[in-house]
Amino acid sequence: MSTETKTTTETTTGTGERGLIDRVTASPFVSKLLSNRLALAGIAIIVTMVVVAIYARLFVSLDAITQSQLGTNPNRAAPSLEYLFGTDGQARSLLPRVAYGAWYAMLFGTVTVAASTTLGVGLGIIAAYYGDVTDNVIMRTMDVLLAFPSLLLALALVAIFPDDLGLWRAVAALTLVYTPRFARVVRGAALTVLENEYIDATIALGATDPRVLVRHVLPNCLAPITVQSTLNFGLAIIDLAALSFLGFGAAAGTPSWGLMLSNGVSQGLLTGVWWWSFFPGFFLALTVLGFNLLGDGMRDALDPRMREAVD
Amino acid sequence: MISSRFVLKRLLLLVPVLVGVASLVFSILHLSPGDPALTIAGERASEEFVKQVEESLGLNDPIWVQYGRFIADAAQFQFGESFIIQRNTTVREVLVNKLPVTLELAIYGQLIGVFLGIPLGILSAVKQDSITDHLTRIGALAGISVPIFWSGPLLILLFAQVLGVLPTSGRISVLYNVEAIRVTGLVTVDTLIAGEWDMFVSAVRHMILPASVIGVYSMALISRMMRSSMLEVIRQDYIRTARAKGQGAKITVLKHGFRNAMIPVITVIGIQFGGLLGGAVLTETVFAIGGIGTLLVEAIKVGDYPIVQGTVLTFAFLFTLVNLGVDITYSILDPRIEQ
Repeated sequence: MSTETKTTTETTTGTGERGLIDRVTASPFVSKLLSNRLALAGIAIIVTMVVVAIYARLFVSLDAITQSQLGTNPNRAAPSLEYLFGTDGQARSLLPRVAYGAWYAMLFGTVTVAASTTLGVGLGIIAAYYGDVTDNVIMRTMDVLLAFPSLLLALALVAIFPDDLGLWRAVAALTLVYTPRFARVVRGAALTVLENEYIDATIALGATDPRVLVRHVLPNCLAPITVQSTLNFGLAIIDLAALSFLGFGAAAGTPSWGLMLSNGVSQGLLTGVWWWSFFPGFFLALTVLGFNLLGDGMRDALDPRMREAVD
Repeated sequence: MISSRFVLKRLLLLVPVLVGVASLVFSILHLSPGDPALTIAGERASEEFVKQVEESLGLNDPIWVQYGRFIADAAQFQFGESFIIQRNTTVREVLVNKLPVTLELAIYGQLIGVFLGIPLGILSAVKQDSITDHLTRIGALAGISVPIFWSGPLLILLFAQVLGVLPTSGRISVLYNVEAIRVTGLVTVDTLIAGEWDMFVSAVRHMILPASVIGVYSMALISRMMRSSMLEVIRQDYIRTARAKGQGAKITVLKHGFRNAMIPVITVIGIQFGGLLGGAVLTETVFAIGGIGTLLVEAIKVGDYPIVQGTVLTFAFLFTLVNLGVDITYSILDPRIEQ
């Protein structure tokens, strides 16, 4: 796996344009972020998990880790040199399954965060710009969604989507659950931006509404959006796993961390089979910690006073 | 100090939100696949019987009639009878039975969170950049990153399997009959009222692991907010003034800093209550506690719609009430907010 790590880091740094890199590192935000050791640790964790995820997706055969290996491998074997994370109740080695879990977490986490960010940003900016009735209709709807504890709303929403969507129905439900948070943060930021004179000037020059919003308002709201997205990433990964854990996400047999943990609790706990719970949960917690460390660092680098605004 | 006008206004503002919440629940369930009449009648029931059930549930009425009836019923906290889980029992009865279980868990979790989180946050802020501060911050960050459904199983393995000192599931030893002494539905309270000391100890021992799992998460969030809020407050001019007039550091922090720093912390405690209710679903599943969290999960799985409606609405209602409480506490701490 170490050779994989090397090649991936080389390609990501190698493709960047020299001037761009200089410009990025010269920005006070980035230099402040890079001087924060905890944030750097977060970045290191995330990069490692992304590498593991991509490695698993490319080199681990999904068939080999979802089908029962009874007869081929020892059943319920404790961690050993041969089976580093042990084997499960169907004699499947846990190591490749946990690695593949990273791919699921990253893939579905990214889709959930991207979808809720896009929806929330769109609604928040529109509410701020048009005001009046539009603002009221959008924000009161968001209030209703925010009136539910988030995991419970996700549980109720998951019921709408058919079972065979698997993890995608968890993604759809969580997207709706997270959207109001982005809408609130963005609406607040956009209202501040809209007070600036350059916005009036742009409108006076005849810019269309979409142009004002996309070219002038959006870029100036990017900071809080990025912080909120990063912090939400960790939450999305936990909630996706929680829904799978409760039986409303990944289909049986899928190597998702939440499902592995659910197995560990329902079948492994009282028999003392600790490795079924330990390994998937450890990588889940580590990944979430990575995003929280980075998100915290970004928030501090941006402006310590922003803390309340994005919490 | 706090005007009844303000409270009244806040209460009136709740009405549209609650109607919205009820409407959302109504639409979610009408969009869900599955036929309630068929669920009740059973797969092999005659077509005639299914029709009869449909009629009795009012499923043949126009959608807006059903909606109106639902809202009117919900306003009286009536959700009909459970389809499957506890047939012939009203949802209200089921909820009254199970709600205290979840509330008890959430309350103990919140107590742990508040009583450990606030002092830790203050300590961390007052000793900024010291070892204590770093450890608290990293600990808090780890606390919010570790999912309940991982820390729970690990604690069970450690305390129950390896050390064998604490029970792993349920609310009280199966030897005791708590129903016989039920007053509030909270086992730790009921056993005390009845004066059953052994039962009380059993109930407390059962509560330790689940409440800690929930409490650690809550503590982490509260200490983070307390720290950043306190850091901001102790840089204010009035703190310097207090120190300049010769007041000791401790009294300044506690008397002048604390009250002002608490305002954002209270919001977090309120929001966190929603997290606790969500966390209760997971904790109840891990520790096999039969509260409304596990009830909801089961009801969604088997399609017991009246239970789903009742549970989700109750959760949302509780959460909204707590938020109202937060707003009111807010205005007591900072009277400017009323304006």
